Amino acid sequence: MNPVLTARLRIALFLVVAIVIQTALGTDMRVAGVAPDLMVIGVICAGLTGGAESGAWVGFWAGLLTDMFLTSTPVGLSALTYCLVGAAVGALRASVLQERKLLVPITALVGTAGAVLLFVAAGDVLGQTQLMGGGRSWLIRVMVVESLWSAVLSLPFGYIYAWAARGSVGADRLGAPIGPSSRTGVVPTK
Amino acid sequence: MAVYRRSSRTRNVLAVLVLAALTLITIDARSNGSGALTSVRGAVSDAFSPLQRATHAALAPIGNFLTGAIDYGSLRAENQKLRQEVAGLQSQAVSSSAAEQQYKQLLQEMNLPFVGSIPTVAVQIIDQGFSNFDNSLTINKGTASGIAAGQPVVAAGGLVGTVLAATSHTATVRLLTDPSFAVGVGLQGGNVASASGQGRFEPMRVTIDSTKLPAPVMKVGDTVVTTGLSLEKFPKGIPVGKVSKVSTPPGAAEPTIELAPLVNPTRLSYLQVLLWSPA
Repeated sequence: MNPVLTARLRIALFLVVAIVIQTALGTDMRVAGVAPDLMVIGVICAGLTGGAESGAWVGFWAGLLTDMFLTSTPVGLSALTYCLVGAAVGALRASVLQERKLLVPITALVGTAGAVLLFVAAGDVLGQTQLMGGGRSWLIRVMVVESLWSAVLSLPFGYIYAWAARGSVGADRLGAPIGPSSRTGVVPTK
Repeated sequence: MAVYRRSSRTRNVLAVLVLAALTLITIDARSNGSGALTSVRGAVSDAFSPLQRATHAALAPIGNFLTGAIDYGSLRAENQKLRQEVAGLQSQAVSSSAAEQQYKQLLQEMNLPFVGSIPTVAVQIIDQGFSNFDNSLTINKGTASGIAAGQPVVAAGGLVGTVLAATSHTATVRLLTDPSFAVGVGLQGGNVASASGQGRFEPMRVTIDSTKLPAPVMKVGDTVVTTGLSLEKFPKGIPVGKVSKVSTPPGAAEPTIELAPLVNPTRLSYLQVLLWSPA
């Protein structure tokens, strides 16, 4: 089978497994009442591994899948947020972020904080005022705790995602920041 | 540092995806919960529910372990508090008979309905709320078990929320801490009020409706129950919360009251849906 198609199927499977684990286990793992968001970690890993385009595509589908399980926000809000986050992480990875040991957890930390803020801000603009119902303190708590969750969980998730994305167009171009594909090194387009 | 060529293709892809997302948002917002996207949501939820149930059952021990490890401090404090309460209850055993009589009298005075007369469906929580901004949870039964939108959901301690939407095999429960949730409650002195959510883990805010009566005298620890007045969405007598804070701002005629919900659904696995609808 075409290796690019195989990689896409593996990424799709990764997203489905991630959302099932998120619903079955992720929402029980609350620190200060805040649960991790495994999907946003996957999206950040996609941006890091495959670049802006791959991050946008994976972000859109991951967000759309997430929207199917949310009840108080319209379908498309998570897709919009994750798509922009994935693209932004991918663009930064290609132009600014250098390969370092802590690249994945630090990017996950900052990317998740940005995703939470963007989700609430976009929702507020689109009339979803209930997202700010818990007040600023709740928003800050979610940003901080969810970001820390992402930083910790991004290490195993980054490894698994890099395995899933090996052979895909973006991963071939950028290389994976961690995981099996990283051994081949980064092959930038001049 | 490597320099990468910025492709217009990436910008086009991003623009198309953003437009697609905005289109979906617009369609869903205009459908008011009854459009094609809502049906798709229900179908996806139904399709995933067996997998969710199986994964939830398989991963429950890991989840319980992690929850226990994360909440170790609070569980220890709670255990200590419960031990003290047990010791207190043992010392009160002598006067239990009198207290029981008082309790029965109170029930008669408040005319609490016999909760057992309302048919219920036992349900299991399969998702504790996907997003940190989503004050809802998913249960493992739906319209096939007689569950419908608007039905009250309770647990051993009291009110949990209401059924927001139901598919054939799952249902979404809006928690009483949701900012869009409101329930009529009775206060001291015949006053009625509405208690509304302010977000998960936040106390409920009580707004007093009956201004013609003398202001209610409430104290911290008082239990507040549903009124069950006509047009109310809940039957009478379901405990909602305990008064956690009472303060009267300078110049205000009525006190500001906050309620701590009696039930913390994050610590529960099973709930009861009351097959009840307003008369």
